[in-house]
Amino acid sequence: MIDFEEIVDRALNGPLCSPQDFDLQVFVPKMREVVRKYEIKYDDANPVPPDDDLADRVFSAGLEFYEAVGTYCVDSERIIKFTQAEIQQALEQAPSAVHLGDGKDRRQLVARRPESDVLPWCSVGAGGAGVSNERIFTSLVTAYARLPLADSITTPSLTMLDGRSISAGTPLEIEGAIRTAVLSRECLRRAGRPGMPLVNGIATAVYGRATIAGSQFGFRPSDGWEIASIAEMKTNFDLLSKVAYILSLGGNILAETGPIMGGLAGGPEGTAVLNAAYHIEGILVKRGCLHHPFPIHMTYGSNTSRRLLWVQSVSTQAIARNSHFPLLNLGYTAAGPMTRMCLYETAAWVIASVVCGASIEAEGVARATHVDYLTPLEPRLATEVAHAAIGLSRQGANEIVNRLLEKYEHHIPEAPLGSKYQECFDVESATPVPEYVDLYEQVKSELRGYGLPL
Amino acid sequence: MAVQSVLESVAACIVEGDEHRAQETVEEALAMGLPPQEVVDGGLVAGMRMVSDKWKAMEIFLPEVMMAVETWRAAMDIIEPYLTAEARNDLKRGVVVIGAVRGDIHEIGKNIVAILLKTAGFEVHDLGTDVPASVFVSEAEKVKADIIAASALMTTTMPFQKDIVEYLTMRGQRDRYFVMVGGGPVTPQWAEEIGADAYGQTADDAMRLALDYMDSCRSS
Repeated sequence: MIDFEEIVDRALNGPLCSPQDFDLQVFVPKMREVVRKYEIKYDDANPVPPDDDLADRVFSAGLEFYEAVGTYCVDSERIIKFTQAEIQQALEQAPSAVHLGDGKDRRQLVARRPESDVLPWCSVGAGGAGVSNERIFTSLVTAYARLPLADSITTPSLTMLDGRSISAGTPLEIEGAIRTAVLSRECLRRAGRPGMPLVNGIATAVYGRATIAGSQFGFRPSDGWEIASIAEMKTNFDLLSKVAYILSLGGNILAETGPIMGGLAGGPEGTAVLNAAYHIEGILVKRGCLHHPFPIHMTYGSNTSRRLLWVQSVSTQAIARNSHFPLLNLGYTAAGPMTRMCLYETAAWVIASVVCGASIEAEGVARATHVDYLTPLEPRLATEVAHAAIGLSRQGANEIVNRLLEKYEHHIPEAPLGSKYQECFDVESATPVPEYVDLYEQVKSELRGYGLPL
Repeated sequence: MAVQSVLESVAACIVEGDEHRAQETVEEALAMGLPPQEVVDGGLVAGMRMVSDKWKAMEIFLPEVMMAVETWRAAMDIIEPYLTAEARNDLKRGVVVIGAVRGDIHEIGKNIVAILLKTAGFEVHDLGTDVPASVFVSEAEKVKADIIAASALMTTTMPFQKDIVEYLTMRGQRDRYFVMVGGGPVTPQWAEEIGADAYGQTADDAMRLALDYMDSCRSS
């Protein structure tokens, strides 16, 4: 695979292009062309389509798209482009597994295939959601670490420090990153899992310097370090600098991306193709150990609608069938904690992802946009469903997901916010209120009725 | 071509994003002797309304809307010289300054709002990302904006939305602009807390808020 220095060189010397021209003259026309050429068509009736040919066409479309379009560096206004040969080489040489964590908590996350009987990796946590204080942070992270099926954690984002709001780019962001690292490691120790990997880099860190600060105070090379994209297919010097630092650290990069359905890629067809293209970008530009996507609805901010489940299912199959780069799908529900809808949404996206060949990170609830609206119970359900989904066929998954969609999809635009952590859990003991336990068990019983061995 | 037919053709060009054909069809309409205002209302505005309806129904997405706006602009290049100053003024619903606040590099949501505002007839000045409060205000002054729209996609960049309101207040200019805020973690409660005028959860909300505000200005 070409060196990272070559990537930087292309960011500095690649073909010049204005951002508007990249979007409208390069990205959009090529996406329309490949969707047409490869006859990618959305199927409303089958959110988890058992269609190998469609998956393979989506993958081919993604390859052709990325070769033509490349990655745009907004700071240099240049395009980082690759030849077909370089892309093929990257696909061949991409990692197929990654070890995360230390000591007895060190485990291996591997690439899976559709309908695989290999257990999925289950990362649990907040999906980037914020918490209002350190007491809630530590209660949550300790509880995440105690989830029996959890393999790694994504910590919540601290929004306040000693009564002050954390603002991006300020010394408070640096202190927030350091505090996140220190507190997280202590929470893992308390839970008896000191080597458990933390895999969202540092949620509070916006800029690279905050990531670097956190790495000096508890975040380890054996953790997972997220490197994001700028929508769509863009990067900048700060992101590339993070890559450079983490490579030198020997850290595991999670190549994260949130292709937007309804945005530049258009509808579900283009978004699926874009996700496949991003996985190649994740290997070459972000130097990732795995692909970490969360295709997202432009208006709803979640990925549990029918169209987004189709996007996830099809693009996951495309990548899982044609690449050995591991996949870790991230879900976002529209509804919040202690609502039946949130649990239905959780089950739907997890079943679709696992059966189509991905591992999971669960999850952002209530779109991860409301401070303190998250609990450990939603990720707990996700891990239980992820394990129970082993053995399901895509056809079987499609039937269950359709039944779940009937229950919630019409409520997505006005989804219930639910309850804050401190309203449905005892924060000190990190235990749910009886009402939430009852709701949880009721939904599990319903899922058992659909054939899931929970 | 019959009058109705040519107007439908103009509208179709907007929906299809065909700049070249839009210009040709507008020229045909004018050559037929149609009043320019009628071409605008019955062709261009009608076409943009269809684009807006299709967007809301999720039949089309951002690329189609962007191309419709470019096609509108191309068609207006042909027809604008024929419009009276009053007619040109009427077409402009208002002036908006929009950007993502200091520290925030996320722009797709903000771009969608900007595009929808353009489809609604607003003159939009897009400042891009990582925009300090003072730049929002100085640009609003420069272009005589009616509305300042600020987006923040992270809890750690939301505080900079408050800075815009504080800056305007400090300069005694708070009442001059309608300040609306939006973005993932932004809530109606936050908008109220910082003294913004409005909160939009979606891009369509933002467009509606801007239109409602300008309508209320006209009727008062």
